[in-house]
Amino acid sequence: MSSREDILGRVRARLGRNTENAATARKDIEAAIDGRVQGPRPAVPTDTAGLVAWFEEKSAAQSSSLDRVATLADAPAAVARYLAGMNLPLRAVIWPSLAGLDWRAAGIEVAPRGAVDSDLVGITGCFCAIAETGTLMACSAPDHPATVSLLPETHIALVPMSRIVPGMEDAWNLARAELGSLPRAVNFISGPSRTGDIEQTIVLGAHGPYRVHLVIVERE
Amino acid sequence: MESRSRHFKANAAASLANPVLQTNLKTAKGKFVDKRAIAIKEIDDFEGSREAAKNIRNRVLENLDLWLEKFEESATARGATVLWAKDGEEICRHVAEIGQRHGVQKAAKSKSMLSEEANLNLALTAAGIRPIETDLGEYILQINDNEPPSHIIAPVVHKSLDEVADLFHQVHKTPRKTEIPALTREAREVLREHFLTADMGISGGNFLVAETGSVALVTNEGNGRMVTTLPRVHVVITGIEKVVPTLEDLTLLLRLLPRSATGQSISNYVSVLTGVKTPEERDGPEHLYFILVDNGRADVVGTEFQDMLRCIRCGACMNHCPVYQTIGGHAYGWVYPGPMGSVLTPLYTGLENAIDLPQAATLCNQCGVVCPVMIPLPELLRRLREKQVEKHLRPWFERFALKIWAKVAASPSLYALGSWLGVRYLKWLAGGRDRIAVLSAAPEWTLGRDFPAPEGKTFRELYRKGKK
Amino acid sequence: MRVALFVTCLVDLMRPRIGFAAIELLEAAGCDVIVPAGQTCCGQPVWNSGDRAAAAALAKKVIDEFVGSEYVVVPSGSCADQIRNEYPVILADEPEWRARAVELAGRVYELTDFLVNVAHIKTLPGNFSGSVTYHDSCTGLRGMGIKEQPRALLAKMSGVELKEMAAAEECCGFGGTFSVKFGEISAAIAAKKCGNACATGAQTIVGGDLGCLLNIEGKLRRLGDETTQVRHIAEVLTAKK
Repeated sequence: MSSREDILGRVRARLGRNTENAATARKDIEAAIDGRVQGPRPAVPTDTAGLVAWFEEKSAAQSSSLDRVATLADAPAAVARYLAGMNLPLRAVIWPSLAGLDWRAAGIEVAPRGAVDSDLVGITGCFCAIAETGTLMACSAPDHPATVSLLPETHIALVPMSRIVPGMEDAWNLARAELGSLPRAVNFISGPSRTGDIEQTIVLGAHGPYRVHLVIVERE
Repeated sequence: MESRSRHFKANAAASLANPVLQTNLKTAKGKFVDKRAIAIKEIDDFEGSREAAKNIRNRVLENLDLWLEKFEESATARGATVLWAKDGEEICRHVAEIGQRHGVQKAAKSKSMLSEEANLNLALTAAGIRPIETDLGEYILQINDNEPPSHIIAPVVHKSLDEVADLFHQVHKTPRKTEIPALTREAREVLREHFLTADMGISGGNFLVAETGSVALVTNEGNGRMVTTLPRVHVVITGIEKVVPTLEDLTLLLRLLPRSATGQSISNYVSVLTGVKTPEERDGPEHLYFILVDNGRADVVGTEFQDMLRCIRCGACMNHCPVYQTIGGHAYGWVYPGPMGSVLTPLYTGLENAIDLPQAATLCNQCGVVCPVMIPLPELLRRLREKQVEKHLRPWFERFALKIWAKVAASPSLYALGSWLGVRYLKWLAGGRDRIAVLSAAPEWTLGRDFPAPEGKTFRELYRKGKK
Repeated sequence: MRVALFVTCLVDLMRPRIGFAAIELLEAAGCDVIVPAGQTCCGQPVWNSGDRAAAAALAKKVIDEFVGSEYVVVPSGSCADQIRNEYPVILADEPEWRARAVELAGRVYELTDFLVNVAHIKTLPGNFSGSVTYHDSCTGLRGMGIKEQPRALLAKMSGVELKEMAAAEECCGFGGTFSVKFGEISAAIAAKKCGNACATGAQTIVGGDLGCLLNIEGKLRRLGDETTQVRHIAEVLTAKK
């Protein structure tokens, strides 16, 4: 007997599985999956201003830094200002989907590809952002390599204001509506990587970025 | 992992006598307990959320076979391979075979308690695959001669900064650093190289989503993302009980897990991973394997202990346990310490192999009230005690004492006689003082404290006299 | 109100004065108190040790003994919890007994809960004076909801200054048979409780469960503290200057 059959067989026996109750149970499973019932959710403002303010507050609590620009075209200059202010090089690996912005005009040299170890700055967008916890949702795709938000010490993300949603449930619904099925990797990112393993003292910058900087884009 | 639970008492005595450990436990307790208390306030309906979480977990357990089949179907449809393992040995065999199939020389591991259950690192090494633990805590343990973890989410909670500093200095042969950020950077640099060169990533799985065939991983360090993004092969090792129905259900549980564990509103990284990379994608594994593990779980389904399978491994029960806070995790002797371990260890490794664990609890129910999925831990511990009695696993003198008490308490006249004698004996033993320093009838009591002397007469005597 | 007092075996053996204090309080609240003569132990030690049969026998004995009393009052949160919350579980497989257990559960109360919420006691018989700190015993707190009741009673005494300790709701390490099976761990937990209690500077540590109090007192004395007093809430509420 295969281990699969052995394990499932014992579970079935313990649950008293038979053909009738299996049919009922399968209906429950389909109902659960189709129903997608949401549990209790913390209250988060739903008006745009309140939502953005909430996202900013929670992002700051996750140790992300924040900036705002009016349009996407203003983003490169804002990113350049941030990099200069932090004494970071004006050189970054970037999601290929964002390579079309005029980074050169802002003095930033960008490489549209997946990240490598020597990249110090990574620039990404996001699929959407979650106000409840100050979280970015990044979906992997050929134009959105997952390494860009992971390997560099500094991660800069452009966050369109229109893509800020109240909670993770809303993010899933957006993904279902726009992507159909889930991409290979959905990464929720809430501030820089950290560890508390030594004496439960939180240190920012473990294996991922030391810094996460969010540039909120008011209009696209 | 070889269980040392049989030696609980000796282990605990050693822990009590270790001043460094005692200091570290005190530091950790404050942080875990206080942070959780603050974090749960962010949820308006925390009790309602616990109830909902319990229902989600129960819904799956009640039809676990079919939910597993559903998950398998969804995962397979996305190009993952689903394997099943009855025990630790089979986990090791699967991983070694996968490694051989894909020419793996190095495996980078994110934290997996199941790999501790299976002693996977030993088996990988034997199979010619070098395992690298990448969670900072687990890495510290690995370079300290494969020391076992003492906590499920804070594996080196028993260690002080000084101990880590010495260890890094010795093993990395670098100048001794005394700042936590510097030590963390040193580990980052050592491990970055391994992430980039590993052929295989091994992770646990916090949840399996049946709807989508995904695994959800939560980490703070980013190592979970590394091992599931960079290597060619990703192996997920997870218990069969980890299935949740939908992404919405996952979301609710994710509100509770980090708050209960570390007092965070969300872990820094939550990765929901589904299937293998497309040819056009620049990163991600080409091969994804799920190893769904029994190792004792299937036999708990449908029993009076099924509630335990709701566990989402947050560690809140141990963080809040007066016994864990006093002796730390190693004393429990197996993979899972604290109240959850005192239930799981006897269930998974055999009642007779962990005879002290169900007893080593004051049944204060602090664990039960903080558990995010409402597992009635004290009640499960009590049921395990019942099993011990049924199987005559308790020592003879304890059984004898209980039988005597049951007999005496059942008979008012015997009780009157026994209590009359008993209080006089104790009063005599106190010798005019208000306390007894050594109580031979209950020697454990007076190991660390005195036994206050009784007044000298029983209430029933005095009451009857007063009435006359 | 007619009240039957369940004395508890620990009070019977170790501190009869707590039983008499309970009677005094109940009478001060206007109750007629009876003490059924055949009572012994509620069975919690055997139940928590895993002996279901013995626990069921003792549960039935208590159920029989307290038939017909309007209320059953217990000067212990954990014994009251055993009767109210555990008896129906112990007797779950015997429908007739279970029904009787549920019926008893509806009229069994922990002492301070009864005084505050049922008898609505106006004037306390004691006039205790001094600073106190209150230890919340686990089963009383988490099983019976005993938290505000003893504090409300202490607040009625003008001479009492309540100094809350840190971690008042944390276990003292007693745990019934745990204390005699794992003495060292139990005593180490007790030491933390003593530390928190003494840090308040209160002269008296007060609680509602004698097991915890014996544990705390025993640890204090072993630590060399000869001055801090340890008292049951009923003793404090009836104490005369």
